[in-house]
Amino acid sequence: MSRTLTFIDAITEALDQELARDERVFILGEDIGLSGGVFKATANLLDKYGEDRVLDTPLAEGIIIAAAIGSSMMGLRPVPEIQFTDFVTPAMDQLVQQAAKLHYRSAGTYSCPFTVRICCGGGVSGGLYHSQENAAWFVHEPGLKVVMPSTPYDAKGLLLSSIRDSSPVLFFEHKKLYRTIKGEVPEEDYTVPIGPAAVRREGNDLTIISYGFMVHVALEAAETMAQRGIEAEVIDLRTLSPIDKETILKSVRKTNKVLIVHEDKRTMGVGAELAAIITEEAFDDLDGPIMRVTAPDIPAIPFSPPLEKYFLVNPDKVVAAIEQLAAY
Amino acid sequence: MATKTTPAEAQASPARPAYSRELLTGLYKMLVKCRMCDEKARILFRQSKFAGNFYSNVGQEAGEVGAAYSLRDDDWVAPSHRDWTANIIKGVPLKYCFAQLYAKATSPDGGRSSPAHMGYAPLHIITPASSIAGQLNVGTGVALGIKKLGHDSVVVCFFGDGATSIGGFHEALNFAAVHRLPVVYLCHNNLWAESVPLRLQTALTNLSDRAKAYGFPGVSVDGNDVLAVYEAASAAIVRARSGEGPTLIESKTYRWYGHSEIDPAKYRKKEEVEAWKKQDPVARFEKYLTEKKILSEEMKKQVAAEITAEIDEAVQFAEESPYPTPEDALKFVWS
Repeated sequence: MSRTLTFIDAITEALDQELARDERVFILGEDIGLSGGVFKATANLLDKYGEDRVLDTPLAEGIIIAAAIGSSMMGLRPVPEIQFTDFVTPAMDQLVQQAAKLHYRSAGTYSCPFTVRICCGGGVSGGLYHSQENAAWFVHEPGLKVVMPSTPYDAKGLLLSSIRDSSPVLFFEHKKLYRTIKGEVPEEDYTVPIGPAAVRREGNDLTIISYGFMVHVALEAAETMAQRGIEAEVIDLRTLSPIDKETILKSVRKTNKVLIVHEDKRTMGVGAELAAIITEEAFDDLDGPIMRVTAPDIPAIPFSPPLEKYFLVNPDKVVAAIEQLAAY
Repeated sequence: MATKTTPAEAQASPARPAYSRELLTGLYKMLVKCRMCDEKARILFRQSKFAGNFYSNVGQEAGEVGAAYSLRDDDWVAPSHRDWTANIIKGVPLKYCFAQLYAKATSPDGGRSSPAHMGYAPLHIITPASSIAGQLNVGTGVALGIKKLGHDSVVVCFFGDGATSIGGFHEALNFAAVHRLPVVYLCHNNLWAESVPLRLQTALTNLSDRAKAYGFPGVSVDGNDVLAVYEAASAAIVRARSGEGPTLIESKTYRWYGHSEIDPAKYRKKEEVEAWKKQDPVARFEKYLTEKKILSEEMKKQVAAEITAEIDEAVQFAEESPYPTPEDALKFVWS
């Protein structure tokens, strides 16, 4: 049975159902138990499953991830939470040097199948240290899968896929999606596979590639441009690593023009890699430059409302880029 | 509990419980085996038989053997770069230990990790990264898994004095304390973190004092006395196995050679090195066993001959093993 759920309710339901289904699963992190999480993604789970399955941890991201690595090596399926991606840095050694490389450096004799939920994204007056995205850091690390859903349906289905995956998965949740985006979510168990992108809107004039909250911004801009006679195809990557080249290239070969939209900083971001893939593999299909709408290259999202607004990608910025690209 | 830091003070052997002849000779053979394998590895490196580097454990064998000797197959070890011999003690076939140095296809990691960064999954030895103290955190996570699954195995994490300065050390020990995890933290305090002396590493005299801050026992022992380490480790392992939680053991010792084989260690005074060499853990245990009439000259020769033959066979295996095929670099990225 399908109901309309918010994005965050879809996350909570996935955790709840997986805790019930698989006794190897446990969740851990700062403030996830008694308080139910800063955003209430883990609300009521402590009462339902007890401290053995829902563990409030010391305020120390490194050991949160290490506890997940080690216990997953023992066959458990931990789902740690990093409260804000801005605070993932103390766990970088564990994520990048341990989790990403454990399977490789042991020639496949060890693995650490855990899923770390990471809350990210700006636009909620979070300031420099409660607004970052930083997913690109991890896309650069083979061995880590990186997932960022944009809809409640995908949030539940991809989270269940991630927890059941045999690799470490970084599951990014854009905080602005939590309560602004609602959608149909089946109550029953289902999965959305890690890897495949989704075509959210079909069009023949150009391709917009995006992910996370920016998919909704891209779709709004695409509707505006449709009224002006330009039909954009909108691709929601859903998984950032490994990237679904097939869906991207198929669309590029149809539209011949590419606009990449992401909220994170520009230089060496996900967009840079997408542009490289497309020029390497579909150069002859391009009728214009691959363009990007991204945040500017400044250290993080500044707090003051006009500064934050300047940093963020919005539908107007995307519309302007579409007009520029469509002119080629 | 010994708290001495100088070799002269550490010399007197305390009274011992009655250990079986089998245990004493077993410890002795393992000490000699670690020494001989390590010295052989150094020679092979100098002969350019393998590339990269090697981090010798010579001088610290009592800490390694004392802590790992009595572990069961299902107990875990989280080693650092200087604990290649932990694999030998835990029972990894010697041929794989030397294949690891040679980075051959037959090594447990198929030639991926650098020499001495060795693990072995069948015996639960975690292939180490080079990040100092990272293994403490992963090992602590394994201990959480053991506790959650209700197993009675334990984890021994090896590290040096330098590792106690990194934040990860604090995170690991604090977490283990909160959850009373079955883990033993064994610090080889060899007085030097690469070229940085202990006085610039910590203001403490006894690194085991750090345990007080976490609320579990810490002991400092003469790390060149294999029985002292064995006693402390055995008590800690029993404690961990019975659900009473972690222990921090400081094994006060000294590495005879540089941080690695490319480090001439000129930052140390010759007199300091010589004084510690007089506290050779192998020679001390030989003396003890000889006085106890457990060890004879003939036995010593026999032990050495047996180990030499085993090493020769292992080196031959390593040398004759194929290198990985280049494309193997692409394997095992995703699990």
